Amino acid sequence: MQRSEMSSVAELKERHMAATETLTSLRQRLRERRLQLLDTDVATYARAQGKSPVSFGPTDLVCCRILQGHTGKVYSLDWTPEKNRIVSASQDGRLIVWNALTSQKTHAIKLPCAWVMTCAFSPTGQSVACGGLDSMCSIFNLSTPLEKDGNLPVSRTLSGHKGYVSTCQYVPDDDTHLITGSGDQACVLWDITTGLRTSVFGGEFQSGKTADVLSVSINGSNSRMFVSGSCDATARLWDTRVASRAVRTFYGHEGDVNSVKFFPDGNRFGTGSDDGTCRLFDIRTGHQLQVYSPQQQLQNGGNNNPNPDVTSIAFSISGRLLFASYSNGDCFVWDTLLAEVVLNLGTLQNSHESRVSCLGLAADGSALCTGSWDTSLKIWAFGGHRTVI
Amino acid sequence: MQTEKSEPLRSGAADTRGKHRISAELKRLEQETRHLEEELDQLEKMESASVACKEILNNVGTRPDPLLPKTIGPANPSWDQWFEGPQDKSGCRCWIL
Repeated sequence: MQRSEMSSVAELKERHMAATETLTSLRQRLRERRLQLLDTDVATYARAQGKSPVSFGPTDLVCCRILQGHTGKVYSLDWTPEKNRIVSASQDGRLIVWNALTSQKTHAIKLPCAWVMTCAFSPTGQSVACGGLDSMCSIFNLSTPLEKDGNLPVSRTLSGHKGYVSTCQYVPDDDTHLITGSGDQACVLWDITTGLRTSVFGGEFQSGKTADVLSVSINGSNSRMFVSGSCDATARLWDTRVASRAVRTFYGHEGDVNSVKFFPDGNRFGTGSDDGTCRLFDIRTGHQLQVYSPQQQLQNGGNNNPNPDVTSIAFSISGRLLFASYSNGDCFVWDTLLAEVVLNLGTLQNSHESRVSCLGLAADGSALCTGSWDTSLKIWAFGGHRTVI
Repeated sequence: MQTEKSEPLRSGAADTRGKHRISAELKRLEQETRHLEEELDQLEKMESASVACKEILNNVGTRPDPLLPKTIGPANPSWDQWFEGPQDKSGCRCWIL
């Protein structure tokens, strides 16, 4: 090779090294500047304002329904935005649609691919979506006539991901679009009517890191924004109009981010991770506002895992409560403002016998549904004396 | 790219690919640097965490929440739907009558 060619490669390598150093030092400066801005956290601020923690009596939050029918672990659930129906997905290769109020099953859908990981209800309640190891998202219209074998046919298949589909959510007020997250490290906004990808978010080769997307949450106040949680321990905020790059990346967790959920006010979101903590982030500033760490809290005495993974999270409708399920069977109810555990659904009467893998709040906020590896779903509601101010 | 006649062509092609790869990586790093510099500029004018904490406290207190023992109103009668009417026999019986 000509000497001039060798030096140009050497030059490039030098520039590459210099650029990497610049980037590293920039990241350090950003970290330091952020730390300076973290003058308090939510719990310290709330305590200083004289807030007292939520106090539950022993029979306030009760299990008021048990939904039985799956024959395998429940992996995912979703409520309808109106009326009290739930769709659940299970290791048994089925979706079941339930009337949560009566506990009756309205549909039992045998899936073309049994390895399902996620399911979602459309905003009108007319369709359900699911995805899993087949790398596709399948849509079922619930009013389609059954086939001769008694199965509900797939009405649309969304294919294009190059890895498992771990999560899906319909865009609110829009039965025609949904967002998926995948093991191929990308999120995709789909047009269901055409079956085509409208936009692809992320997914470029991230050198040296696995960044499978494990969870997404669309902002209920602004459906153009959504958050994704990933195996690279970050959460990312996306604007559906700008697919090329995340609006912001949120650092802090030390393990896979298994679950993300927007806070009801639309300006914050929560995360749950393999590092055993939940966190609250602010979307406008990027600040980590609070860490919810079980170390100091009461734990389920029978399980000795010191740092169980957070499997799923949900906020109550005001945001005052953060529900978090853990791999050891605990299901903590956190006072979001004071960062204290005020109840453990895992130790109540009629609690699940195994890990809770998914959680979801009813649209009117009056009930929480938990789905478990014990194959059942349970509905929890407030049955005590309520004081309305 | 020129190669000596005595060099095998294969290593020449590999060097071109290597150059392009490093070049692409470099572009990506420079783009990332620009974005982080923008973020650092934003941080100069950014509000501290206490501003967001104050907002959260205000927001949380203004929404009626059926799962709280004490909540702002108005209460919705549907909040108690889980404890009314006949249940399917497979339902849990532990709710308070």
